[in-house]
Amino acid sequence: MWKSIIYKEWLKVRWYLIAATLLLGIFVSYMFINVQHTIAFMQANNYWNVIVFRKEQYFHLIKYLPLLIGIGIAIAQYVPEIIQKRIKLSFHLPNNENKIILTMMGFGNLSLLACFSIVFLIFVGLSNYFFPYEIVNEAIVTILPWFIGGLAGYSLVSLIVLEPIWKYKMFYMVVAALFIPIYYESGVSGAFEPINFKLTIIALLISVSLLFSAYRFRKGEM
Amino acid sequence: MEKISRYILVFITILAFSIFLPEFYWMSFGKPIKSEFVLYSCIDNDFIISQGPKTTDNKGNKLTVQQKEQKLPLLNMRQLMLDGIFPDSINGVEMDPHVIGVHKSFFRSQPKDIVGPLPRIFPLFESESGRVKLELPNDFFRISWRMEFIDTETNSINEEKSRMFSAVLQKRGFAFPAKLIAGIPTTRKSCDEGYVVTDSDDQLFHIKMIKGRPYVQKVKKSDDLKFKHIACVDFRDKKYYSYMISNENEIYILTQDDYELIKFPIKGFNPEKEELRIFGDIFNYNIIRIGKNYINVDALNKKYEKIANYSNSWSSRDEKTEGKVFSYIFPAQISMFSGYTDFVNFYFTRTKGFNWLIFNILLVFAHFMIIKPRKVNYKNHLIDFSLIFITGIFGFLSVNLFQNKFFK
Amino acid sequence: MNDNVIECKNLTHYYGKKLVYENLNINVKRGSILGLLGKNGAGKTTTINILNGFLQPRSGECLIFGENSQHLTPITKGRIGFLIEGHVQYAFMDIHQIEKFYSRFYKKWNNEPYWDLMSKLKVTPTQKLSTMSCGQRSQVALGLILAQDPDLLILDDFSMGLDPGYRRLFIDYLREYAKSNNKTIFTTSHIISDMERLIDDVLIMDYNRVLAQCPVKQFMDTFNQFTFELDNPNIDISKEKFVVNIDKIKNKIELNTFETEAFVKNFLLKENISVKNFKKVNLNLEDAFIGLTGKY
Repeated sequence: MWKSIIYKEWLKVRWYLIAATLLLGIFVSYMFINVQHTIAFMQANNYWNVIVFRKEQYFHLIKYLPLLIGIGIAIAQYVPEIIQKRIKLSFHLPNNENKIILTMMGFGNLSLLACFSIVFLIFVGLSNYFFPYEIVNEAIVTILPWFIGGLAGYSLVSLIVLEPIWKYKMFYMVVAALFIPIYYESGVSGAFEPINFKLTIIALLISVSLLFSAYRFRKGEM
Repeated sequence: MEKISRYILVFITILAFSIFLPEFYWMSFGKPIKSEFVLYSCIDNDFIISQGPKTTDNKGNKLTVQQKEQKLPLLNMRQLMLDGIFPDSINGVEMDPHVIGVHKSFFRSQPKDIVGPLPRIFPLFESESGRVKLELPNDFFRISWRMEFIDTETNSINEEKSRMFSAVLQKRGFAFPAKLIAGIPTTRKSCDEGYVVTDSDDQLFHIKMIKGRPYVQKVKKSDDLKFKHIACVDFRDKKYYSYMISNENEIYILTQDDYELIKFPIKGFNPEKEELRIFGDIFNYNIIRIGKNYINVDALNKKYEKIANYSNSWSSRDEKTEGKVFSYIFPAQISMFSGYTDFVNFYFTRTKGFNWLIFNILLVFAHFMIIKPRKVNYKNHLIDFSLIFITGIFGFLSVNLFQNKFFK
Repeated sequence: MNDNVIECKNLTHYYGKKLVYENLNINVKRGSILGLLGKNGAGKTTTINILNGFLQPRSGECLIFGENSQHLTPITKGRIGFLIEGHVQYAFMDIHQIEKFYSRFYKKWNNEPYWDLMSKLKVTPTQKLSTMSCGQRSQVALGLILAQDPDLLILDDFSMGLDPGYRRLFIDYLREYAKSNNKTIFTTSHIISDMERLIDDVLIMDYNRVLAQCPVKQFMDTFNQFTFELDNPNIDISKEKFVVNIDKIKNKIELNTFETEAFVKNFLLKENISVKNFKKVNLNLEDAFIGLTGKY
């Protein structure tokens, strides 16, 4: 059954996902073209110096991109389900409704994770080419919450899209608008080191939040 | 499962509200708290206290701007000279502007310099290049299992140089890796004195590069003396390499050339919570410690003996009206940022006292009134009620944003 | 084993404070075809939603194959074919993709009737459902339900968007299919003339109450419409108990009732109401439905 659900989810998001991965890839490539350009113009030692001691972030460009991609996937995946309340079709399938929702949400998270991982690996690889471990590590610590925030954004926007009552959709938007910025606080490079693990756990926890609005949908809240 | 997902949502909402509601509150109602500026006057042999534009002496007499400048002549030398009233001698010492300048020093250390995301690679300058201008080297070093130099152009390790430095460090008894590495990693300094480093056994070393060769000096100290923070200084008198803070929170200064560790007679310093400022001049050291709502100043003579102390505290944010109102509304606050470190985290501050409990109980009652018309089974709402009781306004909003409506 | 496939007991539901219905009881026997008729807003889709567990009734419960419809097990859901009003389907798929999607869920999946229907559609293999016409989409949706081979078909307004000829064909096909395989059908439609050929039992709902619930034949036999002209146009008989619905234009009366011709005539005689041109009207289901629920 899960294969079939994944097939359906894949049909919904495939072009979007490919485009998002390409977009992220382009941004990351641009970032490193920029790094190369900066090194050529101000010399590597000066550039390292501002990165280490003035905490300049060569990767700042992609800050909100994972969030936008997460939100986009949530929309691509769940708006087609609420048009004409089509998700009823999935709930009617001969399977447990929560399992169906968890499969859909699991697919969304995994495809986001795949998209992010590819880009993340490219990022780490290219960073390693230009910079020593210490700078790369600090960069990873800094961009990690941006990517995890993309997952959290995906979960919360899914929740909002699937919520049947507009009033509550608004409420959830307020909550998301307050909660998501936690992942995008502007700390200096490496500042998120003590909190990244907690932010990851929280993002994992809220990945099941979709069950709540799915339940409300199923029980005919309106 | 649905219920668990609701509680997860309620939980993150409580988290978000306890971060942002107090923040909005303080943004709207918080007023700045002015701290004091205190220095020891070599004229009065007592402290001069400024708060905003207001200045008094330690007896409470108000001082005009000019009076203040005259009481602190070494700090305001240029203004006084312009006015033609700079004294020729003070306390029997002839006032030579050059000498005054050489003795003048300022040092500042904040809690976030000790705890936070700190640099772990540094450029090692050539200390005796024979040139006036310092040049940023093409490599950065780290001290891990050895001392490694990483070429910035190629991002690869310069093996030869790494081996050479590591070997010398090894010979001097350095225990890899380094714990603290302190230096002045900028070309905007008068000259380079390299780095003051502690190793994993808390031994203290001075590492420089002279004409491309390593210069490593182990500083003699007792084994019990361990440092948690080192900050190098570049004072004009060239008498010191660095200020250092020991694990016992004592302040030390490391002298140049003879590597003597001099301890300041300062007690009760809390480097993780207090800002430290040290003003030095021809007569005195002012050791200023500034906490959240207090200041503590010790005046030392040039023999590092304490000659006077000033301390004062003022009402903190919590004791003011807006703080009291806060204590009735919010049971706690979570901040992402701390005044004491650059690390981002969930910094939890419980509101002192139990004023907020009244409001919490009112909210429990209000919630009861909200759900009463729904004719619910109150047993299913016990957790909601407890959340409101404990987290107050945060929980009240959260449990109502996510309807507790489940069917059999 | 209980012979009722659907059993709703004391269903009561409100939207906010507005009563939809109170204490509604519905039984649908195995192998029978029930048509739920009612005007728009009478609660047809509400009932369908409760049956499928997409709505929690204020009180009462529905059992489907003996299971509470709020907690249908996957096995039971697999035995129910559900056509959502408007033939809603995953419009981002084409006919191959959607068949592939559903086929993996059902053990008894039989794609013959589906491809049979699809072969009649003039659509390209990669055409998305969203670009198809209403009628084409409805055939996809119906084809999928037939391929599922369910024991119970719940069809919410299946005839919507179908061409008249095809509608007729489909109804005949459906009835034949249901009767020969002992399938049970619960259906609504607002094209009532279709239903006459299809359903065994009828359930007619009005706003917040049930007007009739019986076999179609019984309903058609007992529901009568009479027309006559009053000699005295001022006489008002609309308050009489036996009157279900009355239309009066000047002195021309159209009377709907569950009583017999003899009863009505007897009543007029007894009340001394003189009429002319008394006629019993030959009704079809649609006429009877309108007679029962009124024109407005």
